[in-house]
Amino acid sequence: MNNKIKVERAVNNLTQEQLAEKVSVTRQTINAIELKKFVPSTVLALKICKVFNKRVDEVFILEEEDL
Amino acid sequence: MKSFLLPHIFKRIGWFIMIPSMILGIVHLILPDLISSIQITTYGYFGNNFLQGEIKPPVRFGRISLIPNMVGLLLLLGGIMLMFSKEKKEDEYINQIRLRSFHSSVFINYGILFFCILFFHHLSFFYVMILNLYTIIIIYVFRFHYLIRKNLIDINE
Repeated sequence: MNNKIKVERAVNNLTQEQLAEKVSVTRQTINAIELKKFVPSTVLALKICKVFNKRVDEVFILEEEDL
Repeated sequence: MKSFLLPHIFKRIGWFIMIPSMILGIVHLILPDLISSIQITTYGYFGNNFLQGEIKPPVRFGRISLIPNMVGLLLLLGGIMLMFSKEKKEDEYINQIRLRSFHSSVFINYGILFFCILFFHHLSFFYVMILNLYTIIIIYVFRFHYLIRKNLIDINE
């Protein structure tokens, strides 16, 4: 699964640390999601999207291999 | 997902118990006579094979070596504290690393056991069994901390 967290962070002028703090996780977790090493739970995905004020499918995108 | 974990302080206590008892355990394996001399009286099962169903089970008072038994208990206690205590900040990614570390430690543990059943026989297999009691804990602790450390390095690069 691909994601646009890095782009959205840039748009919203947020560092990994700041986003991590807003969704109550570690910076490692945000970094792992951005690098596609970790797929977040639905709860965490929704929390991240809420920070960016976007829909889930605007931030997280299914790839060919997920279908 | 909520899972049972001890508070973070137990991690430090775990290291404090685990490291000296590991050193003592290794010393005991290399030089068994050095620390086996201290004996205590305890109550318990002193038979040879409890599965064969002895008519009168030999449960009684008897003498055992203090240090090896104590080391065995302390290794378990320290190991469990290390395995089951929270990180400073616990989240779902740490949980995933924890799960991945459990998976590889159990897998490697039984891989080692499989190899040892094939190639270690008689009394040497007894020593392998003793070490094998702790391999899950040791591999887990190394793997978990390696993955956590690796992630921190990846972030800082």
